[in-house]
This record gives sequence, structure tokens and C-alpha cells, in this order.
Amino acid sequence: MSFSYEMILDYAPYFMRGLLYTLGFSISGIIFGTILGLVIALGRMSNIPFISVIFKLYISLFRGTPLFVQILIINFGVVPVIVGHSNPYIAGTLALSLNAAAYIAETFRSGIQSIDNGQTEAARTLNLSSFDTMRFIIMPQAIKVVIPPLGNEFISLIKDSSLISAISAPEITYWAQAMNAQYYIVWTPYLTVAVLYLILTLTASRLMGILERRMAKSD
Amino acid sequence: MIKVEHISKKFDQIEVLKDINLDVNDNEVVVIIGPSGSGKSTLLRLINHLEVATDGYIWIDGDDITDENNDIQSIQAKMGMVFQHFNLFPNLTVLENITLAPKRVKKLTSEEAEKQAHELLALVGLQDKADVYPKSLSGGQQQRVGIARSLAMQPKYLLFDEPTSALDPETVDDVLDVMHNLAKQGITMIVVTHEMGFAREVASKVVFMADGVVVEEGTPEVIFNTPSNKRTKEFLSRVL
Repeated sequence: MSFSYEMILDYAPYFMRGLLYTLGFSISGIIFGTILGLVIALGRMSNIPFISVIFKLYISLFRGTPLFVQILIINFGVVPVIVGHSNPYIAGTLALSLNAAAYIAETFRSGIQSIDNGQTEAARTLNLSSFDTMRFIIMPQAIKVVIPPLGNEFISLIKDSSLISAISAPEITYWAQAMNAQYYIVWTPYLTVAVLYLILTLTASRLMGILERRMAKSD
Repeated sequence: MIKVEHISKKFDQIEVLKDINLDVNDNEVVVIIGPSGSGKSTLLRLINHLEVATDGYIWIDGDDITDENNDIQSIQAKMGMVFQHFNLFPNLTVLENITLAPKRVKKLTSEEAEKQAHELLALVGLQDKADVYPKSLSGGQQQRVGIARSLAMQPKYLLFDEPTSALDPETVDDVLDVMHNLAKQGITMIVVTHEMGFAREVASKVVFMADGVVVEEGTPEVIFNTPSNKRTKEFLSRVL
């Protein structure tokens, strides 16, 4: 095992740029995945069977197939149909968001369903609409339940973003592979990116911990 | 008035209510007593449509709440409900618990809703608890907030589902006092309870239920002093 600091310096600018891309893919995946996940969770719980089935199907599809395969299909199949050619930035963001949304939807659903049915009943006897019940009563309580598992989803998403190196999105794993190919060295590039991912995931779990404590304080 | 006609309710194959008939006139306090599992709470939940009846009609001022073609929400709006486990919203303060529905449903301004809420809190003896969260209140205090929250929607009928069953004994009386006051003000109430003292003092009519049927009904004097049915006598001899 050999570790070359000079070679890291050589590649540092690429790793820096790559880090920005990894962050960008992760953060947009988290944002779009969470918004979409919430919509899917609500759709999945719809009383209208047709709608509920569609969202169930979505969740099964995205949880039941490998993210890697989804990335390939979206980059070489879906995105070219929409914009005319493959595009790793669009495909990467899309694949990560759509995939995370399926998992996040199930997290939201279990959080929402963990809230006592008496809350909904009380709201109904007060004539509150189901939207208001969701907005003012169920969601504020469910969010607290959902934050810890949501943190796990976000951490998975950061790590999973490494897969989009396969469609030449210039994030950190992509540059590690490039470095490996250029110098025929293994430990230096891959340990470097491993440490970078570790920094990102530890930071993310720290942030979620702070959020969790702040939420707990308000009750 | 509320008129329950030939109501039956099955959960799967189990018949928990069989051909129930009940009249509740305006300004009456009807107290429903009976052993656990007799279907008392289910009947209450059918009346305000938290459960759907298998058969029969429930007329609320002439509108049938079991008929899905009717505007269920506007019929429901005539009734308030007080729950055994209070079902306060833990994420909202006492004041917010009471003002949420008037603001969102009746479109009151914040000032109007809060003024009303403070009046209601004074009515239930909790004027100094407006800004705390339900968690920091005792069971009896939570239940009184629950009553204030229902009253904020100005229901014509108030339904109580075992309002004191989950309370520490020393807080029961505070809740019963509030209910007693409401009865005096002429609010029509249906109360499912095990508090025989309350039934005797406040009820205009006592209904004894067992095994999903109304066994006997009458004034408190008749039910408590000269019950005619054997099962009523047995039940009363056990609880009094």
C-alpha cells in the first residue's frame, strides 16, 4: 500500500470541483427527493384506489430495481427523449431525486401513520378540512418522528451519488477513477474520496442531529 | 332534536349494536350507562359519523347523517365531541387548540377567536393556562380544554365519550362541574359515562345499554330507584 501526497496535490483542483458536484447532486437530490417524497406519500395514502395504486407502483418500481440501472436508463433512455441527447447532470439529479423520493415517501408515510387516529377524529369533529388537518395537526407532529430516518435517507443519498460517475458526471468518484487510470495507483485516489464522503456524511448526520434536538425542544 | 332509528352496527361479523332507538330532545341531557362492550361509545361515534352505521337512520334536526348524499360536514358541524383521551393537539398551545377551528372553519379573525377562547377558558376555570402546551396539564385540565375546544365551534349538541374514565380520581370533579354548568345553560348533551352520581343529578333521561341493545330508559329516579329490568338491577347493584 502506497499513498502519494504529491499526486493528491496534483489532482486537488479536480477533487475540489468534484466535491462541488457531489454536493450539488446530493443537495438537489435531498430537496427534490423530499418534496416529491411527500407528494408520493400523500398520493399513496389517498382514499381513491386508482391514485393510491399508481403511487404504490412508483414506489415498488424505484425500490425494487437497482439505482445503478435507473441511472443508466434515465441517462441513455429518458433524458435523450426529453432533451435530445444524454446529459449526466440532468440524468444524475433526476435519478437520485426519483430514487430517493420512493424511499422518503415510505418514511413520510410511516411517520404520518404513527400519529394517533384520535388526532384526525378530533379534527373531524371540529369540522377542519382534511387539508387543514394535515397541515396544522398531522404534519407538524409527523415531521418530528420522521427526522431521524430521513437523516439516514440523506446519508444514503450522498453515498449513492458516487454511482453517477458511471455516466461521466464529474463528481469525486469520477475523478478518483480518472486518477487511478492515469497513474495506475489505487490507494491514493480511492482513500481520498472515501475520506471526502466520510466528511460529508458525518456533517450531514451532525446537522440532522441539531435539527432533531431543536425540534424536540419545542414540545 | 336527535332521533336514532333502528340503528345497527357490525364490525366484520360481530354485531355491536342491534336495532337501537333513541330520542334526544333539545336542551335534554341524555346519559348512557352500561357495562363495557355494550356499544355505548360506538353509538356515540355513529351519531357524529366517526363510524358508519350498518343499518338504520340517525336524524339530526331532520337531516339523516347516515345518508351519504346529505352534506355530512354541515350536519357534523352541529355536534361537538369530547373524547375519553382528550385528543388535544400536542403541537399547539391551549389557546391554539381552541382557536384553530374557529379561525380556519368559521373564518374568525385572530382577535375574535382569541377573545372567545379566553372567555371559554374562564368558563372551564383555566384562564391562566392559555399559553402552555397540553403536555404540561393534568388530565382533568386537558379534558376541560377539550370541552372548551368543542364549545368554540358553538355546537348545538355536545357528545361526551367517557370524559372522565381516563382521569385521576381527584380531577374528575372539576370536569363534572364544568359539564354540570353546561347542562344548566341548556346545551343538549349526550354523555356516555360510568359516573352514576352525575347521571342521577344531571340527566333528564338515563339510558341503560347492554350487549348492543337499549335495555331500559327513563328518568334517573326511575332507573336508579325502581328499575324494571333484571339486567339493569344487576348492573346497578354492582356499580352503586
